[in-house]
Amino acid sequence: MSRQYEIPVGAQHISLLEPLHFKFTTENERIVNTTANVFYVHRGIEKACCTKFKFRQVSFVVGRVCGLCSISHTTAYSQVAEKLIKIEVPRRAKYLRMLVIELDRIHSHLLCLSHVAENSGFEALFMKTMEYREAFMELLEAVCGNRIQYDFSIVGGVARDLSARVAQMIRDRFKIFKPQLDELVDIFQNNWSLSLKNKRAGAITVKDAMRLNVVGPFARAAGLAIDVRNETEDLLPWKEVGFKIVTETAGDVYARNLVRLREIYVSLRIIENVINGLPESALITETKAFPDGEAVVRLEAPRGELFYYAKGNKTQVLERLKIKAPTFSNISAMVEGFKGNEYGSVPAIIASYDPCLSCTAR
Amino acid sequence: MKTFFKAIGNLFRKPVTTRYPFERTYIPNDYRGVIAFDEDLCIWCRRCEMACPPGAIVFSQDMEGKQTYHYNRAVCIFCKECVRICPKEGALIQTNQPATFALKEENINNGWNSLFDEAIKSREAFAAEKKRLAAEKAAAAKKTAETK
Repeated sequence: MSRQYEIPVGAQHISLLEPLHFKFTTENERIVNTTANVFYVHRGIEKACCTKFKFRQVSFVVGRVCGLCSISHTTAYSQVAEKLIKIEVPRRAKYLRMLVIELDRIHSHLLCLSHVAENSGFEALFMKTMEYREAFMELLEAVCGNRIQYDFSIVGGVARDLSARVAQMIRDRFKIFKPQLDELVDIFQNNWSLSLKNKRAGAITVKDAMRLNVVGPFARAAGLAIDVRNETEDLLPWKEVGFKIVTETAGDVYARNLVRLREIYVSLRIIENVINGLPESALITETKAFPDGEAVVRLEAPRGELFYYAKGNKTQVLERLKIKAPTFSNISAMVEGFKGNEYGSVPAIIASYDPCLSCTAR
Repeated sequence: MKTFFKAIGNLFRKPVTTRYPFERTYIPNDYRGVIAFDEDLCIWCRRCEMACPPGAIVFSQDMEGKQTYHYNRAVCIFCKECVRICPKEGALIQTNQPATFALKEENINNGWNSLFDEAIKSREAFAAEKKRLAAEKAAAAKKTAETK
């Protein structure tokens, strides 16, 4: 019988990007048990949305829930508000929303990949990935006018149009980016020293993934084909623009990296299709209706399924707004994934979960 | 081996980052910058103030009824809602200039909060004054009608 040690990680730790706390019980460097404390932040955004802000202003407030998936939150809220006031969004606005969501997904996935590389001890790959990501930050700035808080979706449509110059800029950047992405895939797949930290680390099985309600790339890496883009067609026409689900079977850090990389290919294809087939219509449906009734919306954010619930009472201010961020679903599986791994691979595993706890605690 | 030569080659290449304070970073032409206001075109409907999500625009009013526009670039989130809602084209426009830094002397948070409250109070005071004058006028009109 060997001795057990408890090792705390967090709430502030060099390999953590978010305020969360893990306590690992280790036995000969192997993790036998994990507990997690995730609610270090509470920001009260839901309450502010239901008291202080009018329902048209809330789409800008929820954009501040998360820095990386800002557009997913704004779009999901816009859709739920549109359901409450019963309007149909113009077709062009839908396409532009998809464009920005996919651009955002690429930059979020690249960020996650770079952090996995950094936490695995591969600093040069971290810098390389971040360098390639910069192109997407600039594209987002050109499309939305800002690098991080896009404020692109508003209730009824989108705030800005895509000019021909920006569309051409996106096409030019993609020509440069495609060989770069191939290079990244090559490194993530074939680099031997990276594979030591990534292969068979943090693995969860399909059964566990299903039992623990995992969403997003985390679930798809384990072989669970779950993607909101694959399931719903009524709000955004994903199938029309060439969406295809990406799955892997291993469920470890390596598989998660590959899922993210292959999803970037899918996103690139979607963006190209959106730009080439952008329909002509108005950008926004104007109405003076007030929100009434209840509605629910699901949307695929970069980290998984985002869920919005809203209730209106025929006034300017909503009665209730509920946000469920994707990381919230993943927490139980995050704890499960550490079991049986060496303590040394923990940073890479945490980064590969891509946790966003400020989102989760709203 | 290939990586090794690449790494040596990288020593002689230019850095990929921008030397920020000396070089300007990338800013698109339609960057979401500070809001500019044209007093001559404004019709004083105050719809921008109602639409603004963070409350970065407020109108104060003096006793003659003249309104003044106040804008706080540090509170503004540059979402362009005010420009979109503005019924008079050109009264509010979004420039592509990034906001300048707020200094300590400006007292931009507490100063703005007190200014906001004062502006709302000044408008209430004007409305109360107007109501009082209207009531006086109505009373006077009633009196003249009774004397006739």
